[in-house]
Amino acid sequence: MTDLLYMSWRYVAYHWMKSVILVAAIALIVFIPAGLRVLVHQGEIQLRARAQATPLLLGSRDSPLELALNALYFSADRPETMDFSATSDITASGLADAIPVYVRFRSQGDPIVGTTIDYFPFRGLELAAGRQMATLGECVVGAAVAADRGLAPGDHVISSPATFFDLAGVYPLKMRVAGVLASSDSPDDHAIFVDLKTAWIIEGLGHGHQDLAQAGAGAEILRRDGSNIVGNAAVREYQEITPDNIGSFHFHRDMATLPITAVIAVPPDRKSRTLLLGRYQSDQRRQLLSPIEVVDTLLATVFSVENVVVAALAAVGFATLALVVLVFMLSLRLRRGEIATMSRIGGSRARIASILGMEMAGVLVMALVTAGVLTLATGQLAPEVVRMVLSR
Amino acid sequence: MRMTLAMAMITLGLLEAGCDRHAGSADGGAPPEKRPVVYVVNYPLQYFAQRIAGDRAQVRFPVPAGRDPASWLPAPDRIAEFQSADLIVLNGAGYAKWVETASLPPSKVVNTSASFSDAYIEATGTMTHSHGPAGAHTHAGTAVTTWIDFRQAAAQAQAIGDALTALRPGQADLVGANLGALRDDLLGLDARMKEIARRIGDTPLIASHPVYQYWARRYGLNVRTVTWEPDVVPDAEALGELKSILTGHPARVMIWEGEPDSRSVELLGSFGLASMVFNPCGNVPQRGDFLTVMRQNIADIERVGASP
Repeated sequence: MTDLLYMSWRYVAYHWMKSVILVAAIALIVFIPAGLRVLVHQGEIQLRARAQATPLLLGSRDSPLELALNALYFSADRPETMDFSATSDITASGLADAIPVYVRFRSQGDPIVGTTIDYFPFRGLELAAGRQMATLGECVVGAAVAADRGLAPGDHVISSPATFFDLAGVYPLKMRVAGVLASSDSPDDHAIFVDLKTAWIIEGLGHGHQDLAQAGAGAEILRRDGSNIVGNAAVREYQEITPDNIGSFHFHRDMATLPITAVIAVPPDRKSRTLLLGRYQSDQRRQLLSPIEVVDTLLATVFSVENVVVAALAAVGFATLALVVLVFMLSLRLRRGEIATMSRIGGSRARIASILGMEMAGVLVMALVTAGVLTLATGQLAPEVVRMVLSR
Repeated sequence: MRMTLAMAMITLGLLEAGCDRHAGSADGGAPPEKRPVVYVVNYPLQYFAQRIAGDRAQVRFPVPAGRDPASWLPAPDRIAEFQSADLIVLNGAGYAKWVETASLPPSKVVNTSASFSDAYIEATGTMTHSHGPAGAHTHAGTAVTTWIDFRQAAAQAQAIGDALTALRPGQADLVGANLGALRDDLLGLDARMKEIARRIGDTPLIASHPVYQYWARRYGLNVRTVTWEPDVVPDAEALGELKSILTGHPARVMIWEGEPDSRSVELLGSFGLASMVFNPCGNVPQRGDFLTVMRQNIADIERVGASP
């Protein structure tokens, strides 16, 4: 038996280029549908877990999918905004607790999530280092963001400008890292959390500037009209919120009219949930949806696409296997002299057939092992890959 | 002998352990509810919350003595204490500016003046400014000393009572009874103040600081305001402003937030103005409590009504 294995191994090793091509072709044809299945399955788990943990979502009457993906996974596709007053509408109904979410800006690609402190206990997020954000201009970063960028409490992150070429637009805000969240294996690991008011300051809806009524302000004053001081373009707006200037930050609009992208509604029981859903059924501007239903609709589409892809891959796989068989048969024809030599030196037909069979079995086993390893690796990396894909 | 002693020690130990186990479930029911922690932003709210909750809540007011809670700025660690409270009681009306720039959990926050927010008084007489496309605006906001209109104080107490009941529904009866007693006291102050205000009528008064807007509105008092501090002696500019006010508003009394400097009293005397203290009691008083301070305020102001 050992001699048979040795003979077949020597052949495979001697013709290593042909063997590698065969192993790779067979491995890929097995791995691609298996890996795809693992990825889709992980995606399903991730999507459903997050959606199931979010009872209801209120948003603008736009695409339900965009709303769910933005509010749950912080995807870059931004739904239409609605007024912050939508939060107090839900609270005032007494049917649910309301947690506003505003996902619009990014910092080096990581989403900046404007929300309230209530978000953290709702998601069961714990701090691994530092403390909770306490004032404007502070943020709490997810575990993956902290690990990728080497951030710790006391460091700073800067919001990315909305448009690079808009020189008159909103300037980036430098934010102090107050705390780092413990890993939760969720999209929260990849996010930067700020107070809703800080998110509005990033957008330029609130700002801080030097006090024009103070004696020091001279060059910044264009003119004085009675009891009104008109500032000129030199009025300096702060790009970092510090204990010294925090008192000067203010909003020029009623906060109730400032934008948010979604409200997470958490009803205490089934009855409240049903009543709340009923209230928004005929709302022309806003929609209250169950994220799990949106995600299941999305998954149904994904599964139907996956079935088509797997069917196509099965056809390709069949063609590849046919080619592999052809390669083996042609190779037998090319090896007629070698087989005759083996016969002349005393090899029986059965032993010669065993050597050739073991060569083929060896290639198949190596291909299947390679495909198995790749599938296992995909299974390990899939949760992270899915989270990254969803938050982009 | 030694053996007997050892047996006795073991028996005692076992008995003690048994007693401890019984003590843990003395009533055989659920463990007693943890007392909720309530954080407040000024002393009147602390007084109201403590009266309503009794010893069933830990009411905490972290502003140091002698500091004005309206302008106090807490450190982040102190804000973290507010965040971890079971209930955060705010005054509203823009009181305690730090609240606007802090991250507080909305689910725990109660704005005690929300029920009369449409009656907030806009702060006047401040410089506006404009820059960019936003137009003229001011950062002054609204008058903040809501509780010296005692009817508003009763509404604020009601808001605290409602929040405490929502927090511990099992204590609704106790909260209701305590709230009723507090409301009676506050409405008693209101009735007394109204009676005195009737006697004062249209008599001109001057307030040393813009903190009496709600008080003046509720009781129909004729008050003009300067911006003087009790511990700062007014300079020539301040006295000039006072003189011009007195021309059209011949007041005989200036009302102070706290005991004024004797030199200020003397200077005012030269204008024919008597000094009188009406302490809004934003922070913990040196003597007495909210009720006794307000009763003293009313007794003092009664002298204005009594003077010819």
